[in-house]
Amino acid sequence: MRRVWLLALRDLRLEVRDRSGVLSALAFFGVMLFVMALALGPEGAPLRRAAPGVLWVALAFMSTLLATRAFALEVEEGTLDDLLLTPGGKEWVYLGKLLFQLLLLLPLSALALLLSAGLFYLPLARAPALLLTLALGVLGYASVATFYAGLLARLRGREVLLPLLLFSLVVPVVLAAVRATVGLGEGLPLEEVAPWWQLLLVFDLVYITASALLFPLVMEG
Amino acid sequence: MLLRLEAVSKRFGREWVLKDLTFSLDRGEVVALLGPNGSGKTTLLRLMAGLLKPTRGRVVREGRALFLANPPAFHRHLTAREHLLYDLAFHGKGGDVEGALARFGLPAHLPLGAFSSGMRKRLALARLALLGPDLWLLDEPETALDVEGRELLLEAVGEARRGAGVVLATHDRALAARVADRVLELS
Repeated sequence: MRRVWLLALRDLRLEVRDRSGVLSALAFFGVMLFVMALALGPEGAPLRRAAPGVLWVALAFMSTLLATRAFALEVEEGTLDDLLLTPGGKEWVYLGKLLFQLLLLLPLSALALLLSAGLFYLPLARAPALLLTLALGVLGYASVATFYAGLLARLRGREVLLPLLLFSLVVPVVLAAVRATVGLGEGLPLEEVAPWWQLLLVFDLVYITASALLFPLVMEG
Repeated sequence: MLLRLEAVSKRFGREWVLKDLTFSLDRGEVVALLGPNGSGKTTLLRLMAGLLKPTRGRVVREGRALFLANPPAFHRHLTAREHLLYDLAFHGKGGDVEGALARFGLPAHLPLGAFSSGMRKRLALARLALLGPDLWLLDEPETALDVEGRELLLEAVGEARRGAGVVLATHDRALAARVADRVLELS
């Protein structure tokens, strides 16, 4: 577990020093939210109705960008081989890269929530429940995105292939996350939103377990 | 036996890079791989490391292998000290990082993006010396090294052969004659 944390913190340090990955994700994310707000506004009702969908589409794209980044750091420098030659399996590399993404995505998701509240009138009265939805949705999305980013890391055209492969698999996660966000926005009781959280949790566990098990196989030369 | 290749072949697309190669290496042995560009030296080293799978045949390794690529791969935004500390942690080992940097004449706090090719090569050797693998796989380790750097390379290989095995790919026949117990020519 120590190696997983160290790899995530090392990647975070590299990202902070390089900055281009996070800045491009943030710029993309900000522009997307503003354009959508301008296109749908200024009345409150259509903006509020579109808010969950826009939020999750933006988060999905941001996660895809950052997932590519997690392995691009290694491929650009040629250091992936060194990680794969460490003793004791390769699963820890996947888990470290996933943790790195989560450390970036979770604060960015909270920022996204605030921006969506400001631009799309998304009610923040149930912020803890919204944050739980974000955490579960982002975890499910990032777990698959990290796996595919690793699988495609050494291929040309990975930026094109990644969304194509990824989106087909994460549709259930995005749908469940959007439905939970809609429910919270409409003020449904938590008991009615909880099944969507349970669904997200199941997908998260399945995706993380399957990805960690398959990762060593796809990393073999 | 530290490493054994049994009738190993490797094909990329339709091109056979290596065919039916059988080879073995014991601890304490240094083997030099010689051959022109494209003869399969790097491919062979990567097969030995386990970074590539053979198309046919079998590679059996006992112990841990590390591969020194040419050019060596490092994160340019980390310093040499940080890189070595992370490497040690990832391998679950401890070691005297400051001592290794001093021995190989490297600055501890300069980002690796500012390192010359020779300095990166020295750092790769410092990394191997610190991590102490059972099998050293060196791809043209002498390139970009100055006279002092070459002496450090010879010293490191000399130390490695005390408990480990070394395979080095090179174009330098004088170096091969000086350090290797055996030479394997690829054509």
